[in-house]
Amino acid sequence: MTIEERVKKVVEDQLSVNQDQIIPEASFIDDLGADSLDTVELVMALEEEFGVEIPDDEAEKITKVGAAIEYIKAHVTE
Amino acid sequence: MNHMPRLRIGKFEARVPIIQGGMGVQISLSGLASAVAKEGGIGVIASVGIGQRDNEVITDYVSAHKQAIIDELRKAREKTDGIIGVNIMVALTDFDQHIEGAVEGGADIVFMGAGLPRKLPESIGDINKLHTEFVPIVSSVRAISIIFKYWARKYNYTPPAVVVEGPLAGGHLGFKREQIDQPDYQLENLIPQVIEAIEPFKQSSGRDIAIIAAGGIFSGADIYKFLQSGVQGVQMATRFVATHECDAHIKFKEAHVNCTKDDLIIINSPVCIPGRAIRSPFLDEVEAGNEVPYECPYKCLITCDVVNAPYCIALALLQAKRGNIDEGYAFAGANAWRTKEIVSVKELIDSLQREYSEAVDAAGQ
Repeated sequence: MTIEERVKKVVEDQLSVNQDQIIPEASFIDDLGADSLDTVELVMALEEEFGVEIPDDEAEKITKVGAAIEYIKAHVTE
Repeated sequence: MNHMPRLRIGKFEARVPIIQGGMGVQISLSGLASAVAKEGGIGVIASVGIGQRDNEVITDYVSAHKQAIIDELRKAREKTDGIIGVNIMVALTDFDQHIEGAVEGGADIVFMGAGLPRKLPESIGDINKLHTEFVPIVSSVRAISIIFKYWARKYNYTPPAVVVEGPLAGGHLGFKREQIDQPDYQLENLIPQVIEAIEPFKQSSGRDIAIIAAGGIFSGADIYKFLQSGVQGVQMATRFVATHECDAHIKFKEAHVNCTKDDLIIINSPVCIPGRAIRSPFLDEVEAGNEVPYECPYKCLITCDVVNAPYCIALALLQAKRGNIDEGYAFAGANAWRTKEIVSVKELIDSLQREYSEAVDAAGQ
């Protein structure tokens, strides 16, 4: 699986949404129905999946699927 | 007499399993906290707005708050060697400096609520080596899992206790307005889920984690009921308002003693969270849509909507604390109307012990 596919899988599992909703422009809160606790859990699940530590100030910027993919791509080698 | 069991939180052991809940702004300072600690409970100083002393203009809010926390801890220590905690709201803009003040001032326990406590300032070093223990206050089972996972991962630290605050508490609530009256969200129904959620963290850390029930607990019989349900202690705040030692003005205490059940209302606080308070002319004005103009010298809460807030909540609460009830209002728990008189902390704890013992006897018959 590519990084993009793995990120989408984490989003799918954490937020219980359909694959086709998980597009880069989708906002976790506005489009995918996440609440503030969900977003924290999501970041923690990404950290676990990719073995990275995402600082809180960076985590706050990850509000959309695309931002999550970009962040992981920039910090993890495929 | 059937004595209430002791309460262990990490390296600290309280003679009675009662934590006095932190009450801001300036309702629980060193006066109340030390009196509770002296009687064997855990006394808690609330740090929000602590730096605003009477007739004093603040130039640097951040250092004023931090210094005031250190000062209040010192004053409490001069009166007792009992257990003293500090309640620090996660939503505070200068949360980090409040934590630093509590650690530097030698707080035994820091209670963190009003938000999901995660990051601590690096300046305090490895929290496993500190004298101070850290305890989260939560209103949902999900928050527990997130906090305990996060703290284990980032700090290799397992909080020695968790306070579970139900919807009958006073002040800001960790629930949506529509959840407050729903059975699913009542404290009695949260507790079994919390016990289950905590278990894996006890196993993985090898550490005891005390569960503390909070929100609407009024009598010794209530304490007995919750301890029977599997928690190790209770947090009570409203009961301690009507004590001689409480740091608020006598008029604030009288507002508690004189309120009726109908006076206790849920308001939409300017920091965008529901809260339970005693109805006042000030709140009636706000409800009628009237604004109370103010200047905001320091945005003290991250969640405050300074532009649209109809009044400054820190100022309104401080006015009430100082006895100017008509220029603000008092927060209170759902059972505040049952408070009938102002007593000493010793008298209150003795009466809770007596009621507890009677409840044990009644259950045994």
